[in-house]
Amino acid sequence: MTGPVTLAVVARDASAPLHERLLATLRGALPRVGVLAPGAFACDLAGTDRLLGAPPVVARRILARCERAGAFVSIGIAPAPFVARVLAERTPPGELRAVSDGQSYLAPLSLDTMPLEEKVRDELALLGLRTIGDFAALPRAAVFDRFGSAVARAHALARGEYGDLVRADAPPRRILVRRVWDDAIVSREQLVFALRGAVDEVEALLATDGLAALRLDLRLVREGAAPLRIDRTILPPARESAALLRSLRWALEERDDLGHVTGCALGVVEAEPARGRQIGLFAPDGARWEEAIATARYLRAKLGEGVVLRPRVVDAEARLPERATEWVEVTR
Amino acid sequence: MGSTGLARAIARIEGRYGMHALARGGASERHRDELALPTGTSLDLVTGGGLAAGEPLAFVGPASVGKLSLAFRVVAAAQRTGGMVAWIDPSASLDPLAAVRSGVDLERLVVVRARSAGAAALAASASLRSEGFRLVVVDTGPAFAGIGSDELAPVLPSVRGSPAALLVVSEDRRGGYAPSNPRLVLPTCTFERVSWERRFERTVGWTFEVGGPRGHSPLDKRALFAVPALGAAATDLGRRAGLAEAAAS
Repeated sequence: MTGPVTLAVVARDASAPLHERLLATLRGALPRVGVLAPGAFACDLAGTDRLLGAPPVVARRILARCERAGAFVSIGIAPAPFVARVLAERTPPGELRAVSDGQSYLAPLSLDTMPLEEKVRDELALLGLRTIGDFAALPRAAVFDRFGSAVARAHALARGEYGDLVRADAPPRRILVRRVWDDAIVSREQLVFALRGAVDEVEALLATDGLAALRLDLRLVREGAAPLRIDRTILPPARESAALLRSLRWALEERDDLGHVTGCALGVVEAEPARGRQIGLFAPDGARWEEAIATARYLRAKLGEGVVLRPRVVDAEARLPERATEWVEVTR
Repeated sequence: MGSTGLARAIARIEGRYGMHALARGGASERHRDELALPTGTSLDLVTGGGLAAGEPLAFVGPASVGKLSLAFRVVAAAQRTGGMVAWIDPSASLDPLAAVRSGVDLERLVVVRARSAGAAALAASASLRSEGFRLVVVDTGPAFAGIGSDELAPVLPSVRGSPAALLVVSEDRRGGYAPSNPRLVLPTCTFERVSWERRFERTVGWTFEVGGPRGHSPLDKRALFAVPALGAAATDLGRRAGLAEAAAS
């Protein structure tokens, strides 16, 4: 199969744990996996023949992997993501089907398959249109003029010509930095200083991939004691070592006795694409705002609800002062 | 000095003065003008150009003299520079309407109703360490219900090097409440009521003066403000010496 080719994987009635398990399985087998819906995935395989093998070979490999993971999935291979998904949904579990002409495959199917509003579908039915082929045969300009852009998009899907891209993420990259110290560290301040090197390295790795850390996992190796594990959420996500170190410092300050620390493993558990703020080029005020809100959230977590508030004037002319203003939790 | 010795020295400095006490290269060499929060009133003459980031200041005076009114002016000045302000309010006594009258933008104000001295210190430290705030105000509240300013001692290491200034608003507790030898010594602006404004045998307002941070500033360094009516914003009358010169001419 040459040209565009999409592989869709569908597991019917997939629970949340199964969805996660399938996603992890697919990410181990495919370069970039997009999530279409719970239990429905897609991967653009264009140009991967020499690297991965022919799409049917890849599909059979995926079927076997998913079966080992305890999921019986259906696979559809088609030129466009929409056609591949429709095909997979109509394929029995544990099997795969491939089509090379999306329009011909869709033509006899009912209009119910298309992502159309009920009102539009009724109107098309009144015009005597029952199948996707009937709908696809309408002139494109007339569909756009009468129904607007959303239906025109569906019309392009029906003709098998809408080249919607698979919005896929790269598999999450594991960022982990380890340090071992010859002399045990007993002071919190010395530990914070010693962590700086590890945090600088994490910052460099995040910068390489254009990421910002959302969650950090710090594991402290201690003499004569179990490792101490610290899980920190960074709000807003950041990659600057100062922000990461500050968050770790706050976490360490919450613990009275750290023991004798001889090493650490600092990992980024969750990351997201860095925005302009992390690059430091745009919106310094916006960055300060987000930092302030992150601090407010931290205080709310520490001090409880009803403590970190923002006043708002409701009625400046109210006769009772308590009715003039209201207090709302600071969340954003 | 070896790298271990340098590490220990830096750790000791940061332990004593906070994480922002040291910075690489030119990052720490910011001019005070960039860090100051000028209010545009005579208070700036008293404080030497206004509060500045990384510096603490206390407004101390008797109840209902005008401390909060001027504190709101400082808050508005901080917000004009595009910053957020954290207001630590253990006694839950902040009046949003009075703040709005003084030019405070409530959207850029985060109020923390910390219910204990420890919670107030935690909130102030976290806000000062954050890069998000330009000013942190701690209103210790009335003498009979608030917290003692001495209890804010743990906050001070976080002030130095912080991008925010710390303003402590505290009631004068010399009338039997405060210890004679307080542990916490902050640069202090003292507030004193100078006269009452009376009309038709009724007291409608008052005038107060603000002394400089050294506590015993000369008279010409003191600023005068008038509160024309209860609930009204304070009016800037200028420096005391300036008034004397104007009266003489």
